Amino acid sequence: MEKKFIYSVWLLFIISNFCFAQSDLEKVEKFNARIQQIESSIKNASSLEQLSIIAENINKAKNDFVAEKELIDKAIYPESFNSSFEKLERALEIRKGDFTQITELTTQVGTLKDKVSELSQENQNLLSQIRVLNIKSAKDAQTIASLQKLVAQLKSNIQQRDQLVRGIVDSLLAEFVKYPTTLNENEKQNIFGKVEAGNLFYNIERTIADNVQFMKVTQLTPEDLGEMKKQYQDFNKVWRQIGPKLAEVYLNKRDKAAQIANIDAMFNEWNFRLNDEMWGQVNKLFREKKIALLPFSSGEQFVKTVKSFVDDELKNYEVKSKAEAENTYFTFTDSVYFKTVEPVWIPILIENKMMTEANKDSIDAQIARWKNKVAPPSKINWVYVGGGAVIVLLMIAYFLKGRKKPQNNFASQKEEEL
Amino acid sequence: MKYFTIVVSFLLLILISACSTLTLKPADYAWPIENALKVDAKGTITEQRFSFSVNVKPIFFEEFKDSTNYIGKELRIIRDRAGFYFITGKDFKNVYVFKPIESGMQLENKIVISETKGLTSPAFNQRNRYIELIDATNKYQLTSKGLMR
Repeated sequence: MEKKFIYSVWLLFIISNFCFAQSDLEKVEKFNARIQQIESSIKNASSLEQLSIIAENINKAKNDFVAEKELIDKAIYPESFNSSFEKLERALEIRKGDFTQITELTTQVGTLKDKVSELSQENQNLLSQIRVLNIKSAKDAQTIASLQKLVAQLKSNIQQRDQLVRGIVDSLLAEFVKYPTTLNENEKQNIFGKVEAGNLFYNIERTIADNVQFMKVTQLTPEDLGEMKKQYQDFNKVWRQIGPKLAEVYLNKRDKAAQIANIDAMFNEWNFRLNDEMWGQVNKLFREKKIALLPFSSGEQFVKTVKSFVDDELKNYEVKSKAEAENTYFTFTDSVYFKTVEPVWIPILIENKMMTEANKDSIDAQIARWKNKVAPPSKINWVYVGGGAVIVLLMIAYFLKGRKKPQNNFASQKEEEL
Repeated sequence: MKYFTIVVSFLLLILISACSTLTLKPADYAWPIENALKVDAKGTITEQRFSFSVNVKPIFFEEFKDSTNYIGKELRIIRDRAGFYFITGKDFKNVYVFKPIESGMQLENKIVISETKGLTSPAFNQRNRYIELIDATNKYQLTSKGLMR
């Protein structure tokens, strides 16, 4: 027994001797490597569970190296044993915060997704109801009232849903901003997850389709259309930022790549419909007053159409009766262009970059050219000048007549006295 | 005569104390850990933390009688409390002790570790009263004067 004990003590001594035969530099290098390894595992952690394991590893590392604290403090100055672990613990807390935020956002996106689905379903029903009411040939006051109510509800629903989908897209955009360079496999998986969780492609398609449908079934005011155009521009701007990156991420997934291309096409369709509706409404204003303008769908075309119309009017000026020519001019300018197009539509069109200030100036120049021929300002002035002159002459004659009368009386009195 | 001797002694004492150099003591130059530095193409090792570099080609000539085969070789270096530099390396049979001089280092001592076999994986540790040299399972206690044990 005693012999065994002596052997054990010797063995312990030899082992401890081996243990002590270690370079201090090596110990410090091991410490640094362990700290770096924990640092990178914090960075690469993908869940709160992994972070809990890392927290345990930090404690284990602390215990493993606490015996060398003094050496480490000196060797890694200005850092120290404690500051190294404090740094790790801080990084761990920050990362935990990220995950908590991500969990909250995921829940939020989940709720948003449900809301989007609810609103989409509701919109579908509203669209069907509006269609039925529109088909009714005889619309009584009650039908019109319920139609208006449905349209208002649908409009509000579409706006809400657009905002929700924008929220999902924005969160994805933030993800891309986080990874500005080429994405690695992990980052791609993260994006796939988000796209799937938010049912993103379907929701974007649905948003665009509903907006287009809404335009088809309702009568929109210039303000409504201006608002929708802005909405389109904002959404399209975000999509143009995110779309190419998504296409890159989904390069090897053919069905998704096709869906991305389809969304691109749908955005173009949405824009085309909006432009068509807006320019169509402007054209309709002229048509309603029996002014037949050639169709136009851009600021440039609008200028050309007005120019061509004015040219025709000037050409036919001699052929037409003067009254007819003036009637066309005043209808065009006073009843349509200066009444509605210029104050209501042109600011919206310019704001949405559908026409320019230069286009507006060109149209004004055409109208001025037309006015010079049909209702020249000089002609009107001569009438006034002539009229004024006649009045002045009449007044002078009146005064002269008034003055001459007493002289005549005096002369006749004299003649009578003689 | 006695008074003369006292006065002269006193004056000498004053003179000697006035001529002595100003010294700052005690000082501790000890590095907490050694450094393992690779020799570059110019035969120089560069220490980043304490910011110095020194040409070590003569050590290779002294140790191997060859001052050409040094590029990429690793030297272990540590400074003791007194300020002496201890330098050795793999396959070295000696540890070289240097003291700093103006623009260089001067050999203070060459400690023979083994007459026959070179060191296999040497490393220095700073200890309170000495520099510890470990080589695999062997341990040596060194001072600038030589091997303690």
